[in-house]
Amino acid sequence: MRPSSWRQFVAILRKDIVMELRTFEMLTSMTLYTLLTMVIYQIAFTAAGGGLDVRLVTPGLIWVAFVFTSMLGLNRSFVHEKDQGVIEAILLSPIDRPVIFLAKAAGNLLFLTIVEAVTIPVFVFLFVLSRGGLGGPAWMLVVALFGASVGMAGVGTLLATISVNTKGRDFILALMFMPLMYPLLTAAVQATSIAILGGVDAVPAFWRWMAWVGGYDAIMVLAAYGLYEFVIGA
Amino acid sequence: MAHATSDTPALQVEGLTRQFGLRRGLDEVSFEVPQGAFLSIFGPNGAGKTTLLRVLTTLLPPSKGTAKVNGLDVQADAVELRAMIGFISHNPLLYPDLTAEENLRFFADMYGVPDPEARIRELLVDVELDHRRLDVVRTFSRGMLQRLSIARALLHHPKVIFLDEPYSGLDPHAMDILDNLIAQVRAEHTFVMVSHDLDKGLELCSHALILANGKVVSVQPASEIDHDLFSATYRSTVGSGVS
Repeated sequence: MRPSSWRQFVAILRKDIVMELRTFEMLTSMTLYTLLTMVIYQIAFTAAGGGLDVRLVTPGLIWVAFVFTSMLGLNRSFVHEKDQGVIEAILLSPIDRPVIFLAKAAGNLLFLTIVEAVTIPVFVFLFVLSRGGLGGPAWMLVVALFGASVGMAGVGTLLATISVNTKGRDFILALMFMPLMYPLLTAAVQATSIAILGGVDAVPAFWRWMAWVGGYDAIMVLAAYGLYEFVIGA
Repeated sequence: MAHATSDTPALQVEGLTRQFGLRRGLDEVSFEVPQGAFLSIFGPNGAGKTTLLRVLTTLLPPSKGTAKVNGLDVQADAVELRAMIGFISHNPLLYPDLTAEENLRFFADMYGVPDPEARIRELLVDVELDHRRLDVVRTFSRGMLQRLSIARALLHHPKVIFLDEPYSGLDPHAMDILDNLIAQVRAEHTFVMVSHDLDKGLELCSHALILANGKVVSVQPASEIDHDLFSATYRSTVGSGVS
């Protein structure tokens, strides 16, 4: 009898969470990196004086921080499996390879979401609330962040699987990640801008960009799901 | 999917070739082993032993030829086949930051083991690690890791057990435990063991196979093996090295 894919999915996800809660390696480094980025921006904006409307550049700053912090996490997402050879034991079990992808991507999305939940209030406080406040409703910011994070976690998990077996995996992941993320980041930055700046027809414009994000997520995550069998077996 | 009967060979390999670029890791390998056998595979470094094991355990697809384990093709029936094989390597294949129990629980879920708690308790007692079940694996000695690795491989009651240098780096006590565990489950399982230890391999095996340069040099039932002649063939094979 074949084991349940759901049970396997939950086992991999639970294992990743338990191991992270035991060491806090990934969450600590991702959160510290994002907070450090914010501190540096704050110093730079203070030095620039009051003439600059910081809210105009905040969407870009948010996504610079989250793209690089997600790469920190993605680089570590297969380290335990690779370093101890456990990936072989998983591949020897009767698991459909895409289940590994879904569980790993869900773990990466969870960790990225936790980092965003911790750091976005600080971002908003430092760069938005103290400089005129949110122009759009707060839910827009949440939807934009979560929508783009799904795509980053999905594509990033596929690329982390490819790069983990290569020499210089950090470099290889960055090399593949950036071009593939470009369309998603274009839409994510636009949607985040609308959430922060608001304006006339903000909601329809926001959804136009989120449709782009949703389309990217659907296409890329499905492509990653389909390719995973080949990628992880290579 | 083919269903195994008692007449179905445990291993049925025909013209198996595995190409790595221009190099052939396995070159037209053919042999059969009946169910319940203990096959020891010998050969020098680079002979293709590990490649053969990886193909038989579905980790590597063959470039040419066929390989069946208990009647299941390593490519066409890979998922079904994985459910009936166990793998013990010199590398324990365990998460160091999880406890012994958490590691076994994880793999029990991977294999869909029914009543996993009872099975895990039973195996931890068998491998004499019950008292360390809540300790993280990072704190285990090499012998303890290997014993836990044996428990991992036996969790799902596999029919065929593959062993890749399982005695490597074990202390005498751990070797005794591994011997006892193999003896306990010997009757109900087929074993395939890769080893450099000729004496140990011949002591355990019902069939012996020598590989060199990816080709089968000799495959014989243990009952037909002249120990001295086999040793001489093995040593001359090892001495000849690999291309």
